[in-house]
Amino acid sequence: MKFIPGWMARWFSPTGERSNETKSMPMLDCGSVMRQLWDYVDGELTPQRMEEIRVHVEMCQRCYPQYEFERSFLDAIASRRRTHSDPERLRAKLLEALQAHGLSEA
Amino acid sequence: MTTEPAKDDANRERDREFQREALRWLPEVTRFALSLERDESDADDLVQDTFLKAYEAWHSYSLGTECRGWLFSICRNAFYKRRKREARHVSCDDAELEAMAAVAVHASASKGGYGDIFARFDLSDAIDTAIADLPDVFRDVVILIDVNDQSYESAAALLDVPIGTIRSRLFRARRLLQEALINHARDAGLVRSQAGTGPFGQESPS
Repeated sequence: MKFIPGWMARWFSPTGERSNETKSMPMLDCGSVMRQLWDYVDGELTPQRMEEIRVHVEMCQRCYPQYEFERSFLDAIASRRRTHSDPERLRAKLLEALQAHGLSEA
Repeated sequence: MTTEPAKDDANRERDREFQREALRWLPEVTRFALSLERDESDADDLVQDTFLKAYEAWHSYSLGTECRGWLFSICRNAFYKRRKREARHVSCDDAELEAMAAVAVHASASKGGYGDIFARFDLSDAIDTAIADLPDVFRDVVILIDVNDQSYESAAALLDVPIGTIRSRLFRARRLLQEALINHARDAGLVRSQAGTGPFGQESPS
């Protein structure tokens, strides 16, 4: 049996019916969700569409693993954000160069 | 006629404005330069180039417009100029097809038993290499959006292309990165490809 996280399992009933919490939301099909998944992960959709997809992804056994895959991929890419080893030195060097080009001292 | 002291006052005001509006973005421009240049001293030179060019062109900047995007744009152009290359146009128009191609990558990874590859393994060096190896137009959008948190809209303004182009380039870039990282993991023996198929489900040549 496929593992479903506890927070996700509450969206399912043994008969496959949706909980009351989601009955008012229009139901998207998996194809629509997949086509908009990157936009969703990037937060680039309207608030209403973001919410519709969130509800679908949280309750869908097909879309949730896809979402997790993309999310972990983007986290891995974002982890490559680098910080400068000595930002103060860089700032001092830059100000010196700018002043040599005419910038007045603050 | 403008007197010398009045001219000096105007220049000092312009410099104060530059320090207030442009230099406040130094940390963000540094991070952007570090994502373009792998070597920190090259990134330092790129940051310096960027702000010197910005200072020289400060008269053309309209106060109140998006200064960070303006600086990113100068930085990117300076990067390509230093590399003596232009971001080449690569045809890639269908964001929807690319979004669906991402589904195929995941389906294949799940079938091969490594659907959690990005969470399970440290692929840091492979990520740096894969990003550096991307064609320029794809690397641009990944660096702006995935590494430097820019929105589709600001990336579109910065690269002077429609948002639809940003989406299709970004989705293609992500797929290329995923494929490169999965290939790397397979070559390094971290994951095994499925018997009879390549890493993305295509039939292996017999």
